[in-house]
Amino acid sequence: MSRLSAVKPAYWISGVLLAISIVVPLLVSTYAKDGPRLWGFPFFYWYQLMWVFISAVLISICYRLVSAEERKRRAAQGLGDPDRPAQAKEADQ
Amino acid sequence: MSGVNWVQLSIVIVIFGAVTAMGFMAARWRRGGPLESLDEWGLGGRGFGTFITWFLLGGDLYTAYTFIAVPAAMYATGAISGFFAVPYTIVVYPIIFIFMSRLWSVSHRNGYVTPADFVGGRYGSKALSLAVALTGILATMPYIALQLVGMQAVFETMGLGGHNVWAKDIPLLIAFAVLAAYTYSSGLRAPAMIAFVKDGLIYLVIAVAIFYLPHVLGGWGSIFDAAETKLTATNPATGKPVGAFIPGEQGYSAYWTLALGSAMALFMYPHSITAVLSTKNRNVVRRNAAILPAYSLLLGLLALLGFMAIKAQVNVKGLDGIANPQLAIPRLFDQEFPSWFAGIAFAAIAVGALVPAAIMSIAAANLFTRNIYRDFIRPSATPAQEAKVSKLASLLVKLGALVFVLTLDKTLALNFQLLGGIWILQTFPAIVVGLYTRWFHRWALLAGWAVAMVFGTIEAYNVINPATKKHFGGSLANIPFTDKQAYIALTAFCLNLIIVIVLTLVFRALKVPDGQDTTHSTDYTADQGDPGVRDLPEILDEGGPATAKP
Repeated sequence: MSRLSAVKPAYWISGVLLAISIVVPLLVSTYAKDGPRLWGFPFFYWYQLMWVFISAVLISICYRLVSAEERKRRAAQGLGDPDRPAQAKEADQ
Repeated sequence: MSGVNWVQLSIVIVIFGAVTAMGFMAARWRRGGPLESLDEWGLGGRGFGTFITWFLLGGDLYTAYTFIAVPAAMYATGAISGFFAVPYTIVVYPIIFIFMSRLWSVSHRNGYVTPADFVGGRYGSKALSLAVALTGILATMPYIALQLVGMQAVFETMGLGGHNVWAKDIPLLIAFAVLAAYTYSSGLRAPAMIAFVKDGLIYLVIAVAIFYLPHVLGGWGSIFDAAETKLTATNPATGKPVGAFIPGEQGYSAYWTLALGSAMALFMYPHSITAVLSTKNRNVVRRNAAILPAYSLLLGLLALLGFMAIKAQVNVKGLDGIANPQLAIPRLFDQEFPSWFAGIAFAAIAVGALVPAAIMSIAAANLFTRNIYRDFIRPSATPAQEAKVSKLASLLVKLGALVFVLTLDKTLALNFQLLGGIWILQTFPAIVVGLYTRWFHRWALLAGWAVAMVFGTIEAYNVINPATKKHFGGSLANIPFTDKQAYIALTAFCLNLIIVIVLTLVFRALKVPDGQDTTHSTDYTADQGDPGVRDLPEILDEGGPATAKP
């Protein structure tokens, strides 16, 4: 428990979200059926295409969480922010 | 060659000419570095931000794989062998989100340009680095083969070729000649420069195809119904259904292992790793992982072109009289579009196959030059010699691809990419696990790789296509001791991991020495602007470090 709580929430939340977006689209038995249809698309087809959007949203959340955490870590270590090149240059010199 | 469609052919030739000229002109603007072949990465020379990376990486996904191979598989056998590409391209992004930024950091800190560079530096083993390099080169060949088959289908649809022994391979030889001439003379600069034009053309064709075609064919509902009727009918030759409209319980394991195995394999290919390393900082890859899924949606809709071809009842008989599902999409365009637009679509497909094939063959050639020629054959080679070797190697890789096309069963071109996946996935333990831990022993990794390569190849060889009786007829086999089918790449990968773990325990117990690790734990989180982190052009100008320091 103590080791688990040492992991920053941003990382374990991202870990869970990423695991979901890898595992759920692969659970074929949950979506291998014809109905209900949507605009003529059988469930099997539209459900998987819908996961494209869900996956994009989940990964965006992870991106925000992880990059905020990394910015904090880098600030604490006195390193520059690579998204602002001017600062990065200063750190270089 | 009486049946040549001159309107289509002229449009294709004009667009091809324009795109090529544009590429050469754009290439002149770029400086010639001292290390010609490696500097010519084009993609690598510039630190790309999110938007351009998205455009280029996404454009690379639209190869003959998306346009020809996946819809052809959907046309011929339906969901299991075709639509798995959708979950494949969905799960690939969380996977690269997880490990790619670590690879970016360690590579930029240590001057690695290829996956073999990293493995050599991490494990201090030249043998392991060689294994990774050889696998990359080998696995790229069938992937290029797929692009050749795609171009061939387009040329054949326009009426080039014929039915006698000589004429039947003409479209393929034209495809090969165009590719070889293109890469030999221009290197990587031109393909990178024309990527924008190519992508623009491709998006135009995709947009028209997925909005216009369902409209003229009577709507999505009737397209799916036609597909269901065809795929659930019984095939008189085998007594089984022709394909799968929606996978039955027996097909579940095949479906998800194909998706997962392909996803894990994609970013092990040398060309995709280089594309990722060319980004500006460590987070560009992650940001891209969040927006790239938009491409998966288009891929899914393109896959359904295969069903549209069923509904439109296109004729897929080749000029040699044999049915060839790869012709389904070009023939669909030929049949449903006016000639001039079909010409534009064919040009888009052909350029869309040519550019990735060029990038792949040069990436494989550079892998050879950097990790085999320089490490093992001539450590003191001059840049000019290296450039020459690269050009030659790139030609050999393409010849290898041609051999794959001519000798293997090409009923379904998708199998070429899946065959490459079987091999390239066996480098995953060394590369990806190596980013997190060095617990795996270098000799255990080498042994696991070797066994899995042999096992995977034999399993794939033993798959016999029931129609053509040829070996390498597919990429699915029963998981040993069960009756469930799975993608051979993933079965071999599990075997690989088991061997690596067991032998690591053995070697640790026997105290077999580890190699020297030339990376440091802080390297894996370093970012642009940090001390010691260099841009790719700098690394290439210096020629980079030797992959494994003694």
